[in-house]
Formats: sequence, structure tokens, C-alpha cells
Amino acid sequence: MPTSVLERPSTASGIDFQAMSDEPKDTSENDLTVVESELDAVDDLDRRRGRRRSDLPPEQLRALFEEQAIPFMDQLYAAAMRMTRNPTDAGDLVQETYVKAYAAFGQFEQGTNLKAWMYRILTNTFINGYRKNQRNPYQNAIDDLEDWQLGSAESITQGRSTRSAEAEAIDHLPDSDVKDALQSIPEDFRLAVYLADVEGFAYQEIADIMKTPVGTVMSRLHRGRRLLRERLADYARDRGFTVPEPATRSKR
Amino acid sequence: MTDCGCEKAKAELEEYLHSELSEQDFQDVTDHLENCEDCSAEHLVGLTLTLKMRSACQETAPEELKAAVLAAISTR
Repeated sequence: MPTSVLERPSTASGIDFQAMSDEPKDTSENDLTVVESELDAVDDLDRRRGRRRSDLPPEQLRALFEEQAIPFMDQLYAAAMRMTRNPTDAGDLVQETYVKAYAAFGQFEQGTNLKAWMYRILTNTFINGYRKNQRNPYQNAIDDLEDWQLGSAESITQGRSTRSAEAEAIDHLPDSDVKDALQSIPEDFRLAVYLADVEGFAYQEIADIMKTPVGTVMSRLHRGRRLLRERLADYARDRGFTVPEPATRSKR
Repeated sequence: MTDCGCEKAKAELEEYLHSELSEQDFQDVTDHLENCEDCSAEHLVGLTLTLKMRSACQETAPEELKAAVLAAISTR
């Protein structure tokens, strides 16, 4: 049995989280206010172009930005696809993210984690601009819902052979099923799962990106992964894989 | 051998998978997984889920987007 764990994609060590976040950590209650003020700050920076704190002349700053930030575009676009669910909005979101990031790049502290910094701008831009347009009236209350309200059961499958069948079924599902399952879970759960599992961010980095305490990140991850697992088991059964339905499961 | 038992292992599998455990806890869970088929199978499901998501979510940004971003930056 493999007992391996995941290699975390290499990131700059000694991340200065304070430099990335000058806001208080526990801001889940006033997320939008914080995001608003932060984006206003970026916009403000944008207006005051040419007065960046960076010592670099604009041409060199742009060259540095292109060299360091542009390589993240495929990853940011993939994340934007999972956020917005369509290529047009994903493209717009990525472009807006890069424009904001470039405007604020003079503030970026070289040697800290640029990928996390870019993701923070992407996530804020999405939450602030795109999520507003989507119907999800109780998004902010999602963390308070009980598991049964989410159609989830505490225990999934039991037994070794059942789990082996489950792992094999997941492995054989088409990518489209995985994307559909991700789209079907609540957005805050989906973001946490995406950032941890696909991007390999540390919990503290996700907490900074999503502006929520680490405990909330862990709860979102746990519940999001459990929901995903249930959805994928449903898809697997639909496709004829033998994945027994857990006895304790509540019906949606 | 510092096998931590099923209860602790199951509770920590997600943090184990995400490399969030302390060195000692990591070793305890690793030791347990080597000896427990049940927890090891559970870990395999979690690992498979993560790897599957990772491969399924790969995208390449359209060339037009790259061009548009570079153009937007150069006019600023």
C-alpha cells in the first residue's frame, strides 16, 4: 500500500506573511470590507503610477514582472476556470488580476512568495467582482451549515476492499466528472480544496489568500473533500463501478 | 516504532496528506500506515482524490489571453 504524501510545489521559503497581509487575520465576518479596501488600495496605486516605492525604473520593473509573473498564467487561468466556470470570464478575471498585480508590483517584496501573492489578488478580484454576479445568497453562512444540510454523512465508505474499489473508481473517472464534482460543492469549500490539493498551498497560505482563520480553512477542506468524495462515488456508480453506498449516508 | 493507533491516524490523515503535520506526528502516522491496512486504504482514497484533481484541473491559458495581458501591461 502506498503511504506516500504529496510533494508540495516549491515555493520561496521564509515567507513573510505579515508583508503579504497587513490586515488582521480573523476577518471572516467582514471579508468584503477588507477586500474592498484592499482593492481600492490597488486601484489607488494604479492611479498614482510612477510613484511606486520600488527603486527600479519602470522598464526594468516591467521586465521583472514579465519574467516572474507571466509564467503563472496557466495556473491562474486554471484556477479562474474553476472559479468562474467559463473561459470568457476566466480570461477576463486573469487579465484583471495581472493588471492589478502589475500596478502593485512595486509593493511586492522580492524573495517572498509571488505565486501566493498573485493568487491573493486573483481570489480577491473574483470574490469582489465576479461572485457578486452569481446567485448564491447564503454563501457567507455556508460554514455554519450542518453536514446533513449539505447532504453529507459523517462516515463514507467502510472496509478495506470497499476503499480500494473507491480509489480505483476515482482514478478511472474522466476529468470532466472531477470538474463537475468540484463545481457542485459550495464555493468556499471548492476554493480551499483547489488551493490545497491542486495548487499545494500550505494551510497558512490558504488562510492568507482567503482571509480566514486556519481552523476555517481546515474545516472547509475537510467538508469539501468529503462532499467531493461522495459526488465522485455517485458518478462512479452511474458509470457502472462498484462503489457501495454507505449505510449512514443521508439523502440529498 | 511509534504507531499512533487508528483513531489518531484517521483524524490526521488529511493533514498528513497535505504535509501539515509536525515531524513527530508525521512519523507516528507513517508508522501506523505501514501496519494498518484499513487506514492505509483510507489514505489511498485521499491521495487518489488529490492526484486526480491535480491532473483533471490542468489548463493552458489561450494565446490571445497572454497577448492581451502583455499588451495591457505595456500600455501602463
